[in-house]
Amino acid sequence: MPAAQLNIAEQLIAIAGNQYVRSNEDIILVSPANTQQVSEVLRIANENRLAVTPIGGGTKLSWGSPTQTNIRLDLTRLNRVIEHPWQDLTCTVQAGCTWQQLEQTLAKHGQFVALDPLWTEQATVGGILATNDSGSLRHRYGSLRDLVIGMTLVLADGTIARSGGKVVKNVAGYDLCKLVTGSFGTLAVITEATFRLHPLPQHTQTFTVSAPQAAKLAPLMVTIRASHLLTLALQLRGDTNGFHLDIQLNAHPEAHQNEILRKMTETAGLKLDAGLNETWQARESLFLNRDVFVVKIGMLPTAVAKTVDDVVRLGGAAVAQGLGVIYAAFPNLERNYSPLASLYAYTDTGSMTLLQIPSNPHDDPMPPGGPHKPNPLMQAVKHQFDPNRIMNPGGLLLGGL
Amino acid sequence: MLSPAILAELRAAVDSDSRSGRTSQSSLITAPNQLQTYECDGLTAFRVTPDAVVLPRTTEQVQSVIRICAKHKIPFVARGSGTGLSGGALPAEGSVVICLSRMNRILNIDLPNQQITVQPGVINANVTAAVSRDGFFYAPDPSSQSVCSIGGNIAENAGGAHCLKYGFTVTHVLEMTVVLPTGEVVTLGNKTPDAPGYDLLGVFIGSEGTLGVATEMTLRIVRKPETVQVILAAFDTITAAAQTVSDVIAAGQLPAAMEIMDRLSIEAAEASVHPNYPACAALLLIELDGPRAEVDLQMTTVIELAKKNGAWETRLAIDEQDRFLIWKGRKAAFAAAGRLSSHYIVQDGVIPRTALPAVLEKITEMSTVENLRVTNVFHAGDGNLHPIVLYCADNPGEEERAINLSMRILDICVEAGGSITGEHGVGREKQCSMSYMYADPDLETMQRVRHAFDPQNISNPDKLFPTPRLCGERSRGAYVPHNLETNGIAEIF
Repeated sequence: MPAAQLNIAEQLIAIAGNQYVRSNEDIILVSPANTQQVSEVLRIANENRLAVTPIGGGTKLSWGSPTQTNIRLDLTRLNRVIEHPWQDLTCTVQAGCTWQQLEQTLAKHGQFVALDPLWTEQATVGGILATNDSGSLRHRYGSLRDLVIGMTLVLADGTIARSGGKVVKNVAGYDLCKLVTGSFGTLAVITEATFRLHPLPQHTQTFTVSAPQAAKLAPLMVTIRASHLLTLALQLRGDTNGFHLDIQLNAHPEAHQNEILRKMTETAGLKLDAGLNETWQARESLFLNRDVFVVKIGMLPTAVAKTVDDVVRLGGAAVAQGLGVIYAAFPNLERNYSPLASLYAYTDTGSMTLLQIPSNPHDDPMPPGGPHKPNPLMQAVKHQFDPNRIMNPGGLLLGGL
Repeated sequence: MLSPAILAELRAAVDSDSRSGRTSQSSLITAPNQLQTYECDGLTAFRVTPDAVVLPRTTEQVQSVIRICAKHKIPFVARGSGTGLSGGALPAEGSVVICLSRMNRILNIDLPNQQITVQPGVINANVTAAVSRDGFFYAPDPSSQSVCSIGGNIAENAGGAHCLKYGFTVTHVLEMTVVLPTGEVVTLGNKTPDAPGYDLLGVFIGSEGTLGVATEMTLRIVRKPETVQVILAAFDTITAAAQTVSDVIAAGQLPAAMEIMDRLSIEAAEASVHPNYPACAALLLIELDGPRAEVDLQMTTVIELAKKNGAWETRLAIDEQDRFLIWKGRKAAFAAAGRLSSHYIVQDGVIPRTALPAVLEKITEMSTVENLRVTNVFHAGDGNLHPIVLYCADNPGEEERAINLSMRILDICVEAGGSITGEHGVGREKQCSMSYMYADPDLETMQRVRHAFDPQNISNPDKLFPTPRLCGERSRGAYVPHNLETNGIAEIF
């Protein structure tokens, strides 16, 4: 170990304790116990211009283009649900707590953070916030930015800042929670978050409608989105075996909404089948094989069905949310065309981000026009928060952040 | 004062568009009597006459004006309808007011994607009016929604009674065109979900005009509910009404609105617009909306819970006429305080819902000690408290004591784990309370965002953040209702 690194490691040991600092080649792994220690670690990193990558469960580290890091800041010791004042429908939790542990705690009072992120048994609150992950429940409850109401943040220079609070309604000052959610650790380290909660849905029912093309399901999607049905989730799946529209309702059985949905389906010339709860994990299945490209596409709701058809035509599989978020996976094959280039061209009006790249890629993951550039305003915000650029360099797939 | 040369630049910037052909009427206002119109917003206790007012019609004109301001370091303040309650649109000394009321066009309606694109001067209620025939509505319904503008709603992140279920303005804005304080034009957010990068849109909304001027916005519109029902329940104590609110939530229900009024505010509403409320210590108003069968079932549960907590009268309003009368009384509640007292101050604290009984007890205690009456109206569902401190300015020293009391009520909200403002904004009125709610590092972190957007500090300066210069001075004033409110047409929450 080089002398300089040895010196840093010693300083980190003084903060977190001997057993919580490990050196591996030229990377130091440190596991602080609390927000104060995170602050001290970052201050040292900043003074020495060392790059820091915050890590929770480590499930989504590939969702970006991380460059060389010097310090891996492991947050899994900050793993407590700090409070759950259930009558106020809020909870405060540390960043390293797994989503599953949080869910189990909140379920004791029949509540939850209304989100279905990926890999809940491993993924942590902090990582889910940093990547702004969301699943099919977004249709009904919105994304994380609608659910997080407070945060404790540590900036690159060690400043500990709190934003928001513990009440659902609060317009005092800038909402830094929204800024940091989805910033991929490039602005600040999240050490604590407060969420607004919802009661667990009591009468969920899943249905599936199948068709040989997504386009055939498109009119029904439009009808459902514009209807009075109490729809929790609306998901369109497609691969070479066919296309399926999954609908989750949450209505009292006596309201007979399933009958209304059945009539809508029949009017559209389709057949409503009972669905399986597992269908809502379909997004995870796209990532099962490490040797596939996985992309996330944002499109207008009316473009979802056509995009899913195109993904399958290009040799991929897709899991999409009706409101316009599409996840697509492509096997890593040598072929005489580039599915990714076709999709990049196609998503001109929306956005496309690569989440997973095979280790030996046969397709070019780079957008045809080179890496997307963030606007100067994003760079100015980055500069204000992290002038030495130590916070997870390359973590966000936008050149320059 | 702005020099004649600068005024000429401003005039050229906003009179460049001469499509009306009438060159006689300039879009630059400098006449002192006309400037007076812009000297305050809904918080009339603070008045500053701006040096000039411009009335642009396009994003390009706003950009030209801001470029001039940036070049000469002239502060500017954006303004919509001027209905804000915290002094957010109060002009800065020597400033240019950019009034956006002429940018009032609806630019595009995209029903299949449930979006509408508008200019900032469009009146909130007109957004709903534009899509109502097709069965949609724009969900945020703040104070005077019949007169306030979308641009102002974005600046304040406006709420309303129905944000309990539908969320705030920030939940409903997808994309905006913004002129930055440097004069650059940028697009924040996206019409499609999850554009990569920082959520600058989310930070801008609610920034009270301190980060730039939004000149075009795409909003989400929402399907109108199939049915709406309102229940009125009369209780002997506020605690019993508050417990009902908690029980409704514990039962897994999410009503569209839950409001509580205390005895004084019921009396005032009765005297003012005669909603025929039961005379009681606490009135609970719950609105449910959704599919008919579902709402019927939920209403049965709500009525059961109200009775369990001792409601001695429940009154269900299903048809529109009955609902209108019930809401009219609630909407007029602030203005009706004028029936109780010659002067009053309206506050906007937020507390965790469960702290309600304890906080009310403290407020009563303080009001007794101070010998000033305080009446309460609140959005009970989300813990947003609107205490109204009644006083008479003619009694020497009473106004000072009333202001002081309303400040200390905000302090109690913070101590209970809440906030100094749920929807009215910080503006000029509450900037000194910010340092009670946030620690210095929290405020300094917010300032980093401000520096990134506005390096010269010219966009609505001296607002939102505490400053040593202002926080030694008197910082609050009496509430003067808009006449729309007095008539029960518009509501102030």
